[in-house]
Amino acid sequence: MNTATATTAPATNKAAGGAGGKPIAKGVGERAKRLLGAGFAALVGLFLLAPVLVTIASSLTTTSYVTFPPKGLTLHWYAELLNRPEFLDSFLLSIGVAAGAAVVSTALGLAAGLAIHRYPFPGKSVLDRVFSSAFAVPTIVLGIGLLQWYAQLGMASSPLTLLLAHLVLTVPYTVRLVLAGLAGLDRSAELAAAGLGAKAPQVFWHVTLPAVRGPLIAGAFFALITSFDDLTIALFVVTTDMQTLPVRIFNYLQYNYDPTVTAVGTVMVLFAAVAVVIIERVVGVAHLFGADPEQ
Amino acid sequence: MAATARIADGPALRPDDSAPTPKVSQKVTARGPWRTGLLLASPAIAVLALLFIAPLFMLVYNSFRTQAGDPTLQNYTRFLGDSFYRDVLWHTLWIGALTTLGCLVVGYPFAVYLRGRSPRARNYLSLVLLSPLLISMVTRAYGWLVLLGPKGPIADGFHAVGLDAPKMLYNDTAVVVGMVHVMLAYMVLPLMGSLDRIDPALTPAAKGLGASGWTCFWRITVPLSLPGMLAGSLIVFSLTVSSFVTPAILGGPTVKLMPYFVYTEATSNLNWPYAAAIGFVLIVVTTILTAVYARLLRGRGGKEVFA
Repeated sequence: MNTATATTAPATNKAAGGAGGKPIAKGVGERAKRLLGAGFAALVGLFLLAPVLVTIASSLTTTSYVTFPPKGLTLHWYAELLNRPEFLDSFLLSIGVAAGAAVVSTALGLAAGLAIHRYPFPGKSVLDRVFSSAFAVPTIVLGIGLLQWYAQLGMASSPLTLLLAHLVLTVPYTVRLVLAGLAGLDRSAELAAAGLGAKAPQVFWHVTLPAVRGPLIAGAFFALITSFDDLTIALFVVTTDMQTLPVRIFNYLQYNYDPTVTAVGTVMVLFAAVAVVIIERVVGVAHLFGADPEQ
Repeated sequence: MAATARIADGPALRPDDSAPTPKVSQKVTARGPWRTGLLLASPAIAVLALLFIAPLFMLVYNSFRTQAGDPTLQNYTRFLGDSFYRDVLWHTLWIGALTTLGCLVVGYPFAVYLRGRSPRARNYLSLVLLSPLLISMVTRAYGWLVLLGPKGPIADGFHAVGLDAPKMLYNDTAVVVGMVHVMLAYMVLPLMGSLDRIDPALTPAAKGLGASGWTCFWRITVPLSLPGMLAGSLIVFSLTVSSFVTPAILGGPTVKLMPYFVYTEATSNLNWPYAAAIGFVLIVVTTILTAVYARLLRGRGGKEVFA
């Protein structure tokens, strides 16, 4: 995948930069550098993909234990999943909470981002500060804090308490992303639209919103995977009869490690891949690079 | 913002009733009424106040109490007075530093490489970069368990060339490898943002004035990408020292870090005040370290990253 996309430099130096023909030796050096870069990128890619590949491959093994490379190929472990409704329940719970967290944190992020960006209101700088520091607070500490706080309030565990807990993880990101998007928006465009007779909602819809569409979708995506993958906070908030998928797998693995788990993992990978393809279609994954918290 | 509901062309974005959506002010000027701002920000403020500030306040309050609820300093004296726990703290910070360094060493060249690619290649490579974040951390860690294990492919590679495979599981190596794998995207994304903002004319200009490629890299690219490095390092370090799952799985019984003790004190020993104290120590130390690091790296003219 990496090597396929890495373009090798053309051997001939046909004044690519308009700087005239460079000596051949330099061209060879450039090419070596290109190849070195491509090789390095391929290694990094392999490092990044290795655990995923191992997970997918070992879910197909005919052995009753996890091994890599797999011995023989079978879909037995996927069939086995159908005998375990608890995994499906957990999956549905995780997806529901993650989708909720994505929607709510996108809405909150857009509202708060707009507020911080353009309205002076009391406590604004404090709010900005708190959003910035939310990143630095260890998740595990948040988890135990929420556990004690919910206990204090007498709130029983439910999908709602879990969703609320996840908002703390996701909203700071969506706010940052929206602010970054708004920073790149030229105010004069909005003023011009208003000057040309557009009503405020129209200005918002046609000028402001397109500027933050990429950040919003990237933020929603981040919120989705953050919530879906969260184990640290969920461990404190869930109960034995309400377990998200990561918690379910984690508990299952305390006692056994068989290919069923890697089958679940593979299903999750496929699910994530589908989400990514959708995003790719809507905004292009490059938009995720709006995920630059210091813009 | 009734409009939030209409971002429905995005994935998984549907109208949502739980988020109040106040009307946008009729003014599109910088001096909108402050009420509008407050109204817009209120849901986010409520979330932060009720789910972030309050639990942390509660945590700090509890950490100064006995389990019966009487005021005490014993949780802190117990932690700081015990060399075992002090070592755990150092070990945690050490793993965080190693992971940050590892992400920089692997991530910086990768970000530079990505910078020169076509948009399409960048897209593919960014998918690969984000892939560790797309699979559950549990599955991910167990994938490494198989890879690094004594019968895994890496050990097989050592055996194939007639060497004894080093011990790669249940030690710091395993934890750092697993953590760098997870955190790499958090380092590369801000770095790429930083690199993209460098004026593309600078390097050719320097070259025209006789600078070599290396000089350009060290004197232009690296200094100008410092904000990205800073942002990436802060995220990676903070997330690493507070990671619980990956170290728990890959570190095995020998590598026990701060988050592990927060977890066991809270859930197994049900000693909430002590768990709170350990967590609070972790927060304070992390905050101090990241602030110092930011001060060192930011220098002058740097941006406010994470306060």
